[in-house]
Amino acid sequence: MTLAVKPATVPGATALARLTASRRQRNLVAGGILLGLCLLLMLLSLGAGAFAIAPGRVAEILLARLGSGPAELLDSREALVVLNIRMPRLLLGALVGAALAISGALMQGLFRNPLADPGLVGVSAGAGLAAAATIVLGDRLLAGMGMGMKLPFAALPFGAFFGGLISTLALYLIATREGRTSVATMLLAGVALGALAGSLTGLLAYISDDRQLRDLTFWSMGSLGGASWSKLSVVAPIVLPLLIAVPFLARGLNALMLGEAEAFHLGIPVQRIKATAVVLVALSVGASVAAAGVIGFVGIVVPHLIRLLIGPDHRLLLPLSAIGGATLLVGADIVARLIVVPAELPIGIVTAFIGAPFFLWLLLRRGRIAES
Amino acid sequence: MQYMPSPAPAPLAGLKAKRLGREFVAAIGLTLFAAAGFAGSDSWPGRAAETAFGFVASAQAQTPQRIVAVGGVVTEVLYALGLQDSIVGVDTTSLWPPEAMKEKKNVGYVRALSAEGVLSLKPSLVIAVEGAGPPDALALVREAGLPMAPVPEALTPEAVVSKIEIIGKAAGAAEPARQLAAGVKARFAELDKLRAGLPAKKRVLFVLSLQNGRTMVGGRNSTADAIIALAGGVNAAEAVEGFKPMTDEAIITAAPDYVLMMRHSAAPSQTPEELFAMPAFSQTPAAKTKGLIRMDGLYLLGFGPRTPDAARDLMAALYPEAKIAQLPGAK
Amino acid sequence: MATILEARDLHFRVRGTALVRDASLQLDAGTTSIIVGPNGAGKSTLLKLLTGELTPAQGEVRLDSAPLAGAPAWKLACQRAVMSQNQRLAFPFSVYEVARLGLEGVGRSQPRGRSEQIIAEALETAGVLGLASREYQTLSGGEQQRVQFARALCQLEAGRSVAERQILFLDEPIASLDLCHQLALLDAARAIATQGAAVLIVLHDLNLAVTYADRLLVMHEGAIVAQGAPAAILDDALLRGVFRVDLAFSRLPPTGLPFLLPQQHLRAASGPALRAAGA
Repeated sequence: MTLAVKPATVPGATALARLTASRRQRNLVAGGILLGLCLLLMLLSLGAGAFAIAPGRVAEILLARLGSGPAELLDSREALVVLNIRMPRLLLGALVGAALAISGALMQGLFRNPLADPGLVGVSAGAGLAAAATIVLGDRLLAGMGMGMKLPFAALPFGAFFGGLISTLALYLIATREGRTSVATMLLAGVALGALAGSLTGLLAYISDDRQLRDLTFWSMGSLGGASWSKLSVVAPIVLPLLIAVPFLARGLNALMLGEAEAFHLGIPVQRIKATAVVLVALSVGASVAAAGVIGFVGIVVPHLIRLLIGPDHRLLLPLSAIGGATLLVGADIVARLIVVPAELPIGIVTAFIGAPFFLWLLLRRGRIAES
Repeated sequence: MQYMPSPAPAPLAGLKAKRLGREFVAAIGLTLFAAAGFAGSDSWPGRAAETAFGFVASAQAQTPQRIVAVGGVVTEVLYALGLQDSIVGVDTTSLWPPEAMKEKKNVGYVRALSAEGVLSLKPSLVIAVEGAGPPDALALVREAGLPMAPVPEALTPEAVVSKIEIIGKAAGAAEPARQLAAGVKARFAELDKLRAGLPAKKRVLFVLSLQNGRTMVGGRNSTADAIIALAGGVNAAEAVEGFKPMTDEAIITAAPDYVLMMRHSAAPSQTPEELFAMPAFSQTPAAKTKGLIRMDGLYLLGFGPRTPDAARDLMAALYPEAKIAQLPGAK
Repeated sequence: MATILEARDLHFRVRGTALVRDASLQLDAGTTSIIVGPNGAGKSTLLKLLTGELTPAQGEVRLDSAPLAGAPAWKLACQRAVMSQNQRLAFPFSVYEVARLGLEGVGRSQPRGRSEQIIAEALETAGVLGLASREYQTLSGGEQQRVQFARALCQLEAGRSVAERQILFLDEPIASLDLCHQLALLDAARAIATQGAAVLIVLHDLNLAVTYADRLLVMHEGAIVAQGAPAAILDDALLRGVFRVDLAFSRLPPTGLPFLLPQQHLRAASGPALRAAGA
């Protein structure tokens, strides 16, 4: 290494090199384990479910799909379950998990607050309100127009998506003065906007009938139950830009840890980072919420878990949060699907139920390490 | 929301045909299996004899199906038709008869079904009330080539009758269902006659719950409103829509002659003394006569084959002086 | 001597209150300039105008003879490094990582070996190399300040390959340091000036300012009331008018540099010092 060339100038440099090398090794191990766990759970997710299919059969179906196997295998109901139910569900779960976890990490970086969650940009409040409006008022509006038709089932996800985008846009405009976005204003305005949306949602819940109320409740607990290839093909293009932008945002977010002025001094285009992060988070969280309902916990705790494992450097934190979020959601979905077979639990319940104790355990363990 | 299978696009037609062929073989296999099962079960003839309808055994033999019943009324009608052995799964709203939930697999809440969960029961037919969902899950079930029968939901006697016919027809028991429906229709007609002979109508307030002193009542367009009307009463909470909390003053203004509540098996029921000691209820006409009626919630609000009897029972409780007769064919 | 930064007639107001008025100055290569002045004199605001963090309501800052306003952040970052008074950090980065932040904007094209060398040298200069693996948030205020200094040094070093004429801005860099480290940091800052950069420091300690400044700027109520060589501009009238202390400068015999002994004050004082200062 170059450092060895001039040991005389910097005596502690070799120790520093050793330190960074050991950190790199630790990060590599942590990342490898997480990725391995994620892939393992993905395989498990394809093989497990209410519909009993032998693991060998699943493999045959996958091979047949890839072209090396009897094609008539693909016509079986088993193939349908593996390829059209489990596969899109697995991918949607991974995508939504990754999007929520990255969004959480981005928001925590942007607001320089470990308690920030993706909902802070107002997307959840707006999406929730729009979803409630679609559930409660949708049929009445159509009936009012006298068209005698039922609400198309894409109405709810579309409503939620655009509701989320509109409220984020409003929040962003409120918080932006003379080309500068104040995250503090955004935080406060977000609280106000959230309260307003919450009260309107409450009003809608009040005028809803029993069934609509149940729908609202289930929606707010999230589910991957509706996953399909067509849904995936809508969600993926909206979420992918966020995943692609990660390496470009990571340095900027690192610099932002010192403060906005300091990040500017370091040469970071702060306003552009803020605008990009807010837009990408709003888009991908909006799409996730629209596709899978409200899944709490992932956005706030997965980045924390990763920080406990590898530290706060966003260059690692963001991609590992993505893997961690995907792992948690895929794992939680396996539990959600298997625990009350042949029914299923809302996934939002499961993510918190298995994620929270693990998180607490990690916090306690870390506390003990710090003391010793 | 559509529940009818959409016509398959041309390229898929061949695939569907293949699937049908396989299903045919499977159906034959199942028939043999089911027949063996019936032959070995000595309880079967006895249970058939218990039902009021003698056609059951023949209906069963013709349609050895694996049915997933979604919606309480679907399960209730299938049981009433004696088709319980064809049911492989029910939803969480299938509370009548009570054994349904114990004997059958539970596919979850009617609005939050799991596609793979339903498919895992290897059903040959899904009969679901119109409000079943989520739509994405149902779309996947249809995609698996499963026939789905939607059951419209409405709170009129005509709708109850047609529901029974639709469910029966879907389950391959059209004739028995027609007979059951005819019986229900006849009893609704009898109920109409009884209602016509009633004196001045009583005002009834349906109270869903009394949590924390907050009174949830059944307003117009609720199942409670419909059953009160069938029983010849007037809904005292007509001013509100659906099940909503009502203020104490509004309850006094509503001036109910009777308070109608559900009987819970788990929680201890409110005694009339406790209820009419509450300020809101102490000022109502019902308080003077301690007029509290408690009925089983599903029986009262289920809007299935038992509804004419439920309406009759409520009517009898509301107008004791009229000495309401039992409906024909009632147990 | 080459002028790197030139500011002319800068004004900055917040809600009608002028924080900086009519400020003109220039920063030359190889010189250390130090701004002194009482609390609220506008020192930090002036510094922010010069770094581009704030835009003046009136007047212009030219960096390397190009207007500062509108220059992209990455370009500015190569030309100047800033150590502000803010030493908070949102998440538990290690000391090494904080220093590395100096390279986030300008050092992205550096090979890894070169980056690590820059970081190691900067940590060494700031005297915090031994703390490299420590969590920044567990350090004392003084140690944090030195890490921030190392971070600014990293940025300056990395930017040098792009821009030769550089400026180092330090806003009260020694506020939490012990005397040994105060001197070490100011020595290091002066060393950077002698290598050809311009250094601008906001300081409170007049004796240290006199010791280290090639050029001293005295601010009072938003305006620069005196600037030039310390020995030439500091006198007792300034001390009384700007700093509101009734002290007299002494002069060191060989250099003629003025110095202050606050002990004089004890003899003269007759009432609570703060109230007297506010009166």
